[in-house]
Amino acid sequence: MTETTDIAVATAANGAASANSAALSVRNLTKQYANAGRRVLDDVSFDVPKGRVLVVVGPSGSGKSTLLRTIAGLEPIQGGEIALEGKVIETGKPGTEKAGRSARSSELRTHIGMVFQSYELFPNKTVLGNIMMAPLLVQKRDKAEVEREALELLGKVGLADRKDSWPHELSGGQRQRIAICRALILHPEVLLLDEITAALDPEMVREVLDVVIGLARAGQTMIIVTHEMRFARAVADEIILLEDGHIVEHSNDPERFFTEPETDRARRFLRTFEFERAPHDQQ
Amino acid sequence: MQGAEILLQPGVLPRLLQGLWVTVWIAATSVIVSVPVGLLVGWLMTLKNPVVRVLMRIYLDFIRIMPQLALLFLAYYGFARWFDWNLDATGACVLVFILWGGAELGDLVRGALQSIPEIQSESAYVLGLSNWQSFVHVILPQALRRLLPASVNLATRIVKTTSLAVLLGVVEVIKVGQQIIDANRFQYPDGTLWVYGVIFFMYFIVCWPLSIVARRLEKRWAND
Repeated sequence: MTETTDIAVATAANGAASANSAALSVRNLTKQYANAGRRVLDDVSFDVPKGRVLVVVGPSGSGKSTLLRTIAGLEPIQGGEIALEGKVIETGKPGTEKAGRSARSSELRTHIGMVFQSYELFPNKTVLGNIMMAPLLVQKRDKAEVEREALELLGKVGLADRKDSWPHELSGGQRQRIAICRALILHPEVLLLDEITAALDPEMVREVLDVVIGLARAGQTMIIVTHEMRFARAVADEIILLEDGHIVEHSNDPERFFTEPETDRARRFLRTFEFERAPHDQQ
Repeated sequence: MQGAEILLQPGVLPRLLQGLWVTVWIAATSVIVSVPVGLLVGWLMTLKNPVVRVLMRIYLDFIRIMPQLALLFLAYYGFARWFDWNLDATGACVLVFILWGGAELGDLVRGALQSIPEIQSESAYVLGLSNWQSFVHVILPQALRRLLPASVNLATRIVKTTSLAVLLGVVEVIKVGQQIIDANRFQYPDGTLWVYGVIFFMYFIVCWPLSIVARRLEKRWAND
């Protein structure tokens, strides 16, 4: 757990200092794909206060990943709005189902980091090249300073010795930790994690989750989509159960959500994970 | 070894080397200029604009359907007749091979660009990279890796197809070989095979390194 503590120190300034005010607000968000009969997200609203971790759970196809993609600007929205630190950055427009990505500025995009399930490191860049690319190209930061910070981050996730490796030389867990470093070096206000352990072998899941738990303790504002209920329970400050594009339950008390959910749907959903909880509880 | 003496006749090997130089010059110029043309055509082929796409499709299909020889005659005789543009035989060859190489390479570029998963450009987008930065630093380098082995093979095909230039009267290595054989027909009636053997070896020396480069690159980037 040393790694998590180190990460905590690194990002403390970013988060807990200003709790309570919303880092990200989503209001009545509606998302529909072209030629799709139903809305993938329908009137979804929530706030993520600074330094808090919102975990989004739900069955496959419930709209969890689409929610993160709309926040990141990868998908146009047809209704509602998204605000970052009180400033509206996206407003829904009907009839934009076929539109491409949001036209938000490069600078604005660096304020919302996103880590994908399949890592998506750039295979033509080394580990260091991957991490340093955006700070140099987008933020125009000083190369020496960026390299110093990249090496620090790599050290904190236990991969300092892999700085010159190519992505294909790394394990899935290592690649995912690099992807997290690549997002963190931009100092995003909000970090979106989209099922980041779904493509990993069980033994690699732990090393990635430790890093995320460290970030959560440090006060990094995050929205996490996951199927790992034990992880969700460990890391969440708030939890949302999404189904068919609707928020079924939104709880500010994750412990209560996992033990005494308010809705029948949440109870049924959590029951499907009981086999997962049992061996853990025995440990 | 009957007839091998033809190769030792004064001037034979230097003339063959001069012919090889013409072949290599036509091929190298065509390949080098085909690269930017192919990159541009490939990029245009990936655009969503229907007019551009149709134009590129017509260009590619025209070049592919027409035999290279017909294209050479069109360029050599047609340009002079229609546009009063007197291209010499070498110029016509280079022009046709650039148009052919550009079209074929363009299709390879299109395939390579479209083979890069969309999520790679999404990944660049969320990092704040502009479309241009994403193309130059993320998509294009990956596409080039995928297309390089195939484009080296295309370069090999261009080198070999330069032999058609002989039909426009370009004195390249095949033509020089024919001249040497004709000039020595009575003195060395069995020299034909030796001359063509040397020409085969010369083509091999030019194309073989390209094949090795293609194979090495394929192996090296297999893991990416």
